Amino acid sequence: MNAYQIGLIIQICISVMTVVAIFAMTGLAGMFSLGQAAYMAIGAYITFVLSRFLDIPYYLTGILAIILCILLSWLIAVPTLKLRRDYFALITVGFSQMIVALVLLFEEYTRGSIGFSKIPRADNLLWITLGALVLFVFWIRNLKYSRFGRMAIALKNDEIAAQSFGIDVYHLKIKIYILASAIAGFAGILMALRNRVITPDSFGWAHSSEMQIFLFFGGTNSLTGAILSAASLKLLPELIRDITLFGTSMQEYRTIIYAVLIILVINFRPQGILGEKEITFKWVGNLINRFKKSTVTEKESYD
Amino acid sequence: MALQLIINGISVGAIYALIAVGFAVVFNIMRFSNFAHGGMISACAFISFFFQRAFDPPPPFYVTILFTAVCGTILALLIDTVAYRRIRIKNSPKIYYFLMSLTFAILIEQVLNVFYGTNMYGFPKVFQSETFMIGSIIFKTMNMVILAVSVVILSALILLINKTKIGLAIRAVAINADTSRLMGINSSVIVTTIFSIAGILAGVAGVFLGVQYGVYPSVGPSMMLKGFIASIIGGLGSLSGAIFAAIALGLIEIFLTFFIGATEATVIMFAIMLGFLFIRPQGIAGKFVEDKA
Repeated sequence: MNAYQIGLIIQICISVMTVVAIFAMTGLAGMFSLGQAAYMAIGAYITFVLSRFLDIPYYLTGILAIILCILLSWLIAVPTLKLRRDYFALITVGFSQMIVALVLLFEEYTRGSIGFSKIPRADNLLWITLGALVLFVFWIRNLKYSRFGRMAIALKNDEIAAQSFGIDVYHLKIKIYILASAIAGFAGILMALRNRVITPDSFGWAHSSEMQIFLFFGGTNSLTGAILSAASLKLLPELIRDITLFGTSMQEYRTIIYAVLIILVINFRPQGILGEKEITFKWVGNLINRFKKSTVTEKESYD
Repeated sequence: MALQLIINGISVGAIYALIAVGFAVVFNIMRFSNFAHGGMISACAFISFFFQRAFDPPPPFYVTILFTAVCGTILALLIDTVAYRRIRIKNSPKIYYFLMSLTFAILIEQVLNVFYGTNMYGFPKVFQSETFMIGSIIFKTMNMVILAVSVVILSALILLINKTKIGLAIRAVAINADTSRLMGINSSVIVTTIFSIAGILAGVAGVFLGVQYGVYPSVGPSMMLKGFIASIIGGLGSLSGAIFAAIALGLIEIFLTFFIGATEATVIMFAIMLGFLFIRPQGIAGKFVEDKA
């Protein structure tokens, strides 16, 4: 594999990782956050700026950055999640704008809109990313089928009913939000290691909404759907790179393509491409069996 | 000096009020945060810019405002038809409205980005003399025009909602959509009216933002945020609260920008909003719209 392909795979893995984190939040608990890219920014900036200016290795500052993500998400969640859901979406938008403003404010350290590029090279980044991705996917999958996940799904469908069944809705929401933010922070560190340069523009709310679009495209109730759609939609702009339209590469139109796709999906198949289905080994096995059977019956009918 | 800052602050606040009310009107009836409003404002800023430049000599300013308001209305109704109609008919969960409005916000911004670039276009000069003096105080003509137009539009809107029959219907739908339909209110007419109002407000706000801050694709979404903050501080779904909070926010922002700096002002305003949620989550107006989750 050449460097381009490895870079692409890492990029896809990071995209899947963030979408899986959002799946835990939006898919399971029905919270609509637009500030996840802000946590990626915190993860990336705190890790590498601190490691440069305090001369500490970046895996130590990385831990610090994730702890900071957890603290900040707790701080945002405590006043906001008591209120109706709309406040949460609005406040997360405001939060992501604030983080971008803060990055610009501390221009001395972050180099503002030029971008911070003193990021060390990491060996074996591909294997670290793949390992972390498998770990997170396994974790979220277990979460979905655990008691915790079932409580979250109950809360998503009807908050008051869930409360009357004795579920502590407020604390459950805070926990899920913190979990998703911590994963986003980690993904931010990986993204910085892959790109070797971080700019505040790449962490705006447009990036957060791209993640939400990936999630809804695959289906909010299906973890495998979310993974598949995140991977394929991230790959799509690379496939159409050489096609040009109005004199620019089709890659420039990727967000427009995403937007049009999601408008079609929500209008005509609101549950997402996969809907409630999960692609498991069992499901694949059944599919193969059914295929075998149908070919057998076809043969019989010919006789 | 202080007086001048206050006048600047109120005129900035007046634009925020137009944005916040356009957002709150949709929120009141449809019960979702219309992120697409920011995209609409950007599109309207571009429309007004090209309309103003298309003619030589340039058309009078009120013609530009009227034309953009009409375009904004058409755009809002188009978005309603493409994005929200099917969701409304199927009675799908609120989260789909969120996603659709968000999608349109980034769709509009990206379309503008691809075709016009992220550069800022300066709005052509609108008035012969940009300032006038009363006594020893210098007034910016544009600030006064913004103030006057905003006051007229917002008071017309409040009169429409409080005094007319369609306003009564709007208030009824805002309280309970299903019951008001049982009372014989045609809810699709109300929804169309609401989106037309939002479109007009987005159009006017777009013209003013373009004149004051320049025309660029993310002008709407970034200013939309101030509208969000205003409507949260004012109490989600309350028009008068949103107007009051928007003006206060404009004043705070102008003073903070003058004394501390523009980037710091964004951070401090967010902190104010978060603090406000801690102390008084129902907003200034105290009208807390409860609903079943």
